[in-house]
Amino acid sequence: MNLVFIGWNHRATPVEVRERIAFTPEKAREAMKHLFAQKILTEGAIVATCNRSEIYGLSEREDAADAVAAFLSSFHQVDGGVLRETAQSGGGEETVRHLYRVASGLDSMVLGEAQILGQIRAAYRLASEAGAARAVTNRLFQSALECGKRVRNETSLGARPTSVPGIALLLVGRVFEELAGRRVLVVGAGETAELTAELLVENGATDLRVCNRSEGRAAALARAIGGRAVPWESLVTAAAESDLIISATGASEPVIRAKAFAEARHRARRHGPLLILDLAVPRDVEPAVDELSDVYRYDVDALNEVAAENAAARRAEVPKAEAIVEEAVGKFRDWYGGLHHVDVVRALRGKLEGIRRQELEAYRGKIAVLGPDAEKVIDRLTDSIVSKILHHPTVGLKEGDASDRLERADAVRNLFRLDPPEKP
Amino acid sequence: MSAAQLASVFGLGALALYVLATAFYILNLLRPSAWAGRLATAAAALGAVLNFASLYARAVAVESVPYRDLLGSMKLFGFFLAALNVILELRHRDRSLGPFLMPAALVFMLVALLETPVPRAPSPEFKGSIFALHVTLNMVSYAAFAVACALSLLYLFAGRALKHRGRALAGPASRLPTLGYLERATRTSLAVGVVTLLVGLACGFIWASRIWGPQNLRWGLDPKVWVAVATLVFYVVILVRARTGAAPVTTARLCVAGFLLILISYTAVNLLVTRLHSFT
Repeated sequence: MNLVFIGWNHRATPVEVRERIAFTPEKAREAMKHLFAQKILTEGAIVATCNRSEIYGLSEREDAADAVAAFLSSFHQVDGGVLRETAQSGGGEETVRHLYRVASGLDSMVLGEAQILGQIRAAYRLASEAGAARAVTNRLFQSALECGKRVRNETSLGARPTSVPGIALLLVGRVFEELAGRRVLVVGAGETAELTAELLVENGATDLRVCNRSEGRAAALARAIGGRAVPWESLVTAAAESDLIISATGASEPVIRAKAFAEARHRARRHGPLLILDLAVPRDVEPAVDELSDVYRYDVDALNEVAAENAAARRAEVPKAEAIVEEAVGKFRDWYGGLHHVDVVRALRGKLEGIRRQELEAYRGKIAVLGPDAEKVIDRLTDSIVSKILHHPTVGLKEGDASDRLERADAVRNLFRLDPPEKP
Repeated sequence: MSAAQLASVFGLGALALYVLATAFYILNLLRPSAWAGRLATAAAALGAVLNFASLYARAVAVESVPYRDLLGSMKLFGFFLAALNVILELRHRDRSLGPFLMPAALVFMLVALLETPVPRAPSPEFKGSIFALHVTLNMVSYAAFAVACALSLLYLFAGRALKHRGRALAGPASRLPTLGYLERATRTSLAVGVVTLLVGLACGFIWASRIWGPQNLRWGLDPKVWVAVATLVFYVVILVRARTGAAPVTTARLCVAGFLLILISYTAVNLLVTRLHSFT
């Protein structure tokens, strides 16, 4: 029996292939049913995200990974050669390490991203509901979720955002207690302006104004986000009266000049800090506004610079996260190793033999009265009782498929409180 | 144990707790952890309670307000700083003021413990509620201006970090409250300080008129009175400007400068210049 994984992810698989082998929950359920029916796997789960389709499971076949690939080739109608070429697979401890690294965000396209933990939880829930998760899958996924949480809590791998929208929101959060009631000016009505404005609305912005050279487009965007349009001629005044400016026009030169802006701000007598997120290239806001007190301007370069710094800070946390993963892999190894049939039977026999000897020792005085022959008979008798008690469990631990055997081994270890095997 | 001895014992207890609170607040600022934060808050709160107990015991010992002298008033100042810190912290669920306010409370408490155990008995005019209100409210206003100063320093630090791009998003600056909160809380502290100073001064005028009679205005010539009135005018101007659109950075700088003036008025003016307000 072998604990295996095979997956297609952003590292080795082109998006054209990934999108063809993507799993919906229904497809994942159906695929698992076939994998069990064809005895390729005895238990398992499918982790499906936009960047990966990965199958984890227990198999009695030596060629389990190839068999899963062949099955998926027919299941998804994709060329088997392409699937084999672009797959990432492994067995035993590699499987555990891979899932733990995935859960920790170490294998993600954006290092340390947080959504993956929720996606793994969803995959595990789906497998449990479908009856596909048994002893090993339960242990594997529960420990993967714990490992992911530990990495998140004990390192700052995912603490600092690395995407421009994430950084923009974090900056907003450093300046304002809440977005509700803050006056937001969106300059431009293109895709960037629209997406950023929508993000701000999702995060509580209520007072939005849109200013664009084309008044029609400004009005359309204002309607879409529940704001109001401002004439292009009033841009500088509107900017001076704002708390937050998002600027993303296609203008070839700054549309907000520092001198005019400083004068307008002085006239507006608007107190409080002003955050400017200039997402346009070339820039919309003249950098000289930095000289004004309480004005905090971030252009695309500055945001990218922060993103790069944050990414570097995340990379610096990788060794710490890998150490947590290795510790968790070690624990899983101890547990999984303890389920080996011979080890469990040996441990069970040792436990019962220990009890037998302990009881004989306790009654030694009373047995001695009966004479040496009776002593030998009682020794043989108790030994025979232990052997008979052990007979059915020993046979039962060898029966059924790999998952049945491991489930029983785990149950025996728990019921008899057998110590884990000693480390070499 | 006499009331004076109790005052000293409680004072020492408060001092020890302020030392602990300061250490845990700074530790929590540099390496945030839930236990350090909780211990800091607990030590600050318990320290404030002991500080109050020390003031009460002293009041019993001297049969008057326990802060007629410089060192006694420093003890009161330490209490207000610690108490305001805990109140603001519980209200806003934010511990960023602690590393700034608690060291100040600690210094005031340390100096206060240099006091002689029992100052000489007060003359009858130093008893009564108007006098007590005058001194207490003025001390509350000083504490409020101290908080405004600490908030302003945080505002300047956080604003500077934001100007330097990513610095606001990492390290100690990332654990500060938002600029919006710091600015709003500064204005609130200023308003509290201005109102209490105004009422405290009015109480002082009423008390002085009763002692020397409404016709005798010799108390009005005391430099401390003029410094206090000038302080009030200074802070009223800052507050009005802050409420009518002045740049928060300017307000913050003025708050820091204003508090330096208060410290000078509180120490140098009281000790060297004034006669009526010299500590008894």
